[in-house]
Amino acid sequence: MTAVELEIPPRSAYVGVVRLTLASLARTSGLDEDGVEELKIAVSEACANAVLANEEAGSEEPVTIKYTSDAEALTVLVQDRGGDSSDPVAHDLFDSQGFSSRVAMSLRLLNSLVDDCDFIPRDGGGMTTHLVVKRQ
Amino acid sequence: MELGLEVREVGSHSVAQVRGEIDVYTAPKLRERLIELVSEGSYHIVVDLERVDFLDSTGLGVLVGALKRVKSHDGSLSLVCTQDKILKIFEITGLDLVFPIYASEKEATQEAPQAAS
Repeated sequence: MTAVELEIPPRSAYVGVVRLTLASLARTSGLDEDGVEELKIAVSEACANAVLANEEAGSEEPVTIKYTSDAEALTVLVQDRGGDSSDPVAHDLFDSQGFSSRVAMSLRLLNSLVDDCDFIPRDGGGMTTHLVVKRQ
Repeated sequence: MELGLEVREVGSHSVAQVRGEIDVYTAPKLRERLIELVSEGSYHIVVDLERVDFLDSTGLGVLVGALKRVKSHDGSLSLVCTQDKILKIFEITGLDLVFPIYASEKEATQEAPQAAS
């Protein structure tokens, strides 16, 4: 089993760093290139949601990314301290003109691009976004 | 990580050619430029995504915001994209039904709605 943990300041500039790092880790773990592209988007969505939630809540706490891979699956946990802002389901999914909100689009991407996506409230506030890509 | 952005006029369209990755960090730059274009009177915009390597929901949000702006002036916003990985993002979010998506800039500027002369 491989396990890597990253901690980034809650700033949008670091989301690209996480995306590239996780893509590299996933390739090393044997994920094919289509799978790597999909994981990059899912990780980017989870990290963007986390950074924006922290910003909205005025939290300077870091965002933590935990990556593990084993024979069954690749798993990514993204943890923030965005308080109530961290819950994507609590946001408006449509704007006044009927267009999907950014959060709604993010949820669709997350649910489509990985095999499992769960949002788990954290003790002390914030959210853990739990992504799983199963090996075929 | 950088976002390249070049805008030029093709007939009655403003064509914004975007290069690089559009994510939560770079999307504000695209948003500002598109807002600027509309405030300068460009209501028929083509965004060329052929050289975009990555696009997420923040980038989609910017495109939807720009679409709403041009629509309020009876304008149009079309996209140029043939990359499967980017088209997939539009399909998953249903935005392939919202934006006209063309295979080339030429098609987009010839077929997309134009300003009345």
